[in-house]
Amino acid sequence: MSPQHSDPTPVRSRREAFAALKAELSGAALGGLRVAVDAAVPSGIPELDRLLGGGVPRGTLVAMEGTAGAWSIAARLVAAVTSGALAAIIDDGGLYPPTLAQAGTRLERVLVVPARSPLGMARAADILLRSRACRLVLMTAPVLRAAVWSRLAALARRTGVVLIAVAAGAAAASLSAVAGLRLYCTRERLVVAGLRGLWSTVCGYVVRAELRKTAARASGAAASLRVVTGDRAAALRERDIPRPRIARAALR
Amino acid sequence: MLLCVSIDDYPLAVVRRAYGGDGPLIVADRPDRGRVLAVDRVAREAGARAGQTVTQAVAAARAEVAVYDSAAGAAWWEELLDALDAVSPLVDDARPGLAFLDMRGIDGGPVQWMQRARDVLNPLLFPYRLGAGVTKMSARAAAYVADGTICEEGSERALLAPLPLKLLDLEAETIERLRLLGVERLGDLARLPHGPFVRRFGPNAARWHLLAAGTDRTPFVPRGRAVAIEASIYGEGRAEDEAQVAFALRVLLAQIAADLERCGKRAGALTLEVELDDAQVRAFEVALGSPTAQERAMLEVLRAKLEGVTFAAPIVGLRLRAARLEEGGEATTLLTGDDFDPQTVALTIARLEAALGETVRRASTRDAHALEERFVYERFEPPKRELVTSSSHGDPAEARLVPQLRLLTVSEIEVRMRRGEPAFVGTPPQAVIECVGPWRVDAGWFDVPVSRDEYDVLLEDGELYRIYRQGAHWYLRGAYD
Repeated sequence: MSPQHSDPTPVRSRREAFAALKAELSGAALGGLRVAVDAAVPSGIPELDRLLGGGVPRGTLVAMEGTAGAWSIAARLVAAVTSGALAAIIDDGGLYPPTLAQAGTRLERVLVVPARSPLGMARAADILLRSRACRLVLMTAPVLRAAVWSRLAALARRTGVVLIAVAAGAAAASLSAVAGLRLYCTRERLVVAGLRGLWSTVCGYVVRAELRKTAARASGAAASLRVVTGDRAAALRERDIPRPRIARAALR
Repeated sequence: MLLCVSIDDYPLAVVRRAYGGDGPLIVADRPDRGRVLAVDRVAREAGARAGQTVTQAVAAARAEVAVYDSAAGAAWWEELLDALDAVSPLVDDARPGLAFLDMRGIDGGPVQWMQRARDVLNPLLFPYRLGAGVTKMSARAAAYVADGTICEEGSERALLAPLPLKLLDLEAETIERLRLLGVERLGDLARLPHGPFVRRFGPNAARWHLLAAGTDRTPFVPRGRAVAIEASIYGEGRAEDEAQVAFALRVLLAQIAADLERCGKRAGALTLEVELDDAQVRAFEVALGSPTAQERAMLEVLRAKLEGVTFAAPIVGLRLRAARLEEGGEATTLLTGDDFDPQTVALTIARLEAALGETVRRASTRDAHALEERFVYERFEPPKRELVTSSSHGDPAEARLVPQLRLLTVSEIEVRMRRGEPAFVGTPPQAVIECVGPWRVDAGWFDVPVSRDEYDVLLEDGELYRIYRQGAHWYLRGAYD
């Protein structure tokens, strides 16, 4: 053992001694595996990680905007985190765990926090960020004052937790100013297996993700991401999704 | 002499005790696709049997299905065993529904012992039967024959002879094999030659043969004494502000922590009972995430749990009990691939639940036809830490983006059909660019029947929805993102 290990630093308990030793070992190679805490959360999707410069930086408030694909990307990030840590999802009632599991998420490592009101969601995010219990917190962005988002962004920065807010409409407007990373997603093409009707299945779509704001690199970069269920890899056809000429009221 | 306390079909007795009723009943381990644990007499006569699927049993008996709450069953069984401690200090917990008491050296005879047992069992409202015998098998057989039967020494073989083979706790398959050989009663089995029978049915058959002949060498195993670690404060005035309560809790926790350390235990949960001046009692169960004996960790979680709780009257008494006790020693793992501390997670959950008034959950998936049946939520428990393995970091090659369905509040929508499939959806109508389906969903036919056709439709605004038709109406169920 090197001399630095003989430093008689007092430790108050065995738990703290273990924590200190673990911190010392972090970064060291252990049988080819690293225990180090990464600076970013990589998604594991090469195109997306290239776009993000290696992954979502820890301690960032991420605004996922646009019409489609935001939850698919967020689910992938949750899956990446749950391979070695906990994640939390503040659920407004729309969460559908089976598709989250299909994305590779270990559901037993996801805290699902039910919260419907904007205030409740903000409080839940506040508690989760402060606790540092989870490495990533995912939520639908409620309409909140910019000051509240600013506080949550500061908390995320201080604690190193990634806060992902999937935003639409007015919520996106108040969030965009304080978000450290903004990703705008639109659906480009639909991917269908089979011909039509009973014998066909929607396997997914191609999403265009555009980086609108980031501290690490210039914004404006974009990537096409294929969001497809893996069980029907063959015999797929793609069809373009036309841009509506007239703005329509959303069905929901 | 041993005393046997037997409750036939314990899961059935638990359900009857919990919900009452006397109609035909099937008790299963799960509401759907589960297995039947027990059936009552009416359902059995109609053809339902333990071990069948729920669907089979319901088809046979058309009886009400109840799910067995194993936690409640275990708790009530413990309560019953605790009550039996008043009859004999030595109680053998064979399984839920069957217990033996060693009565050697206790005043009185079998009749007096049974009366004492009845005095403690009657308030528990379970349908039990008592029997007495020299061995466990004879005492159990006596209870099976009739409540209050006493099997005197030397009369075991005669008592056992007419009884069915199920008293040996054999598998149904073995009983069927023996039945085909003409062996239906314990007496038939006892008459078989020992050697050939054992050679044909394996080493366990030797024990069955001896038991059927009235020779029981099964040892009596007294259950361990339950360790109760609790502390309370009563009769020391009224606490009207938070500081007083916090001080009292600290005092109680210090006692609990000291007792845990003395017993070499750690607690996985705390139970707090708060007695108020208006005679109301409020109870709180606080899960500790990772079992601990540390006073500070317990205090933090307890305080978080009580955040935001208001009481209608001053507090006059507190009782704190350590629950889910485990053997001592802190669970500290150095080389884990996980990056979370169970204690921190427990504290966070307690804070979230106190702030939001909602239970923090975790999801799990299951097979089902209907979309909304494919997952269930349960209370979140921090997962066990795992050692670093290559699989714990996931395989990057398998990483992929998967469409996420977002559930929407089910609402009725207007749909216009063309050539048998949706052509326009919503108000004002939007043209359907792509439509796939229908998929017929037929579920819950034994409960609340669901029959509907589901479609995925891509509308002209680029949104992809899951809609369904039920009867003459159309509904919006979810949106893909």
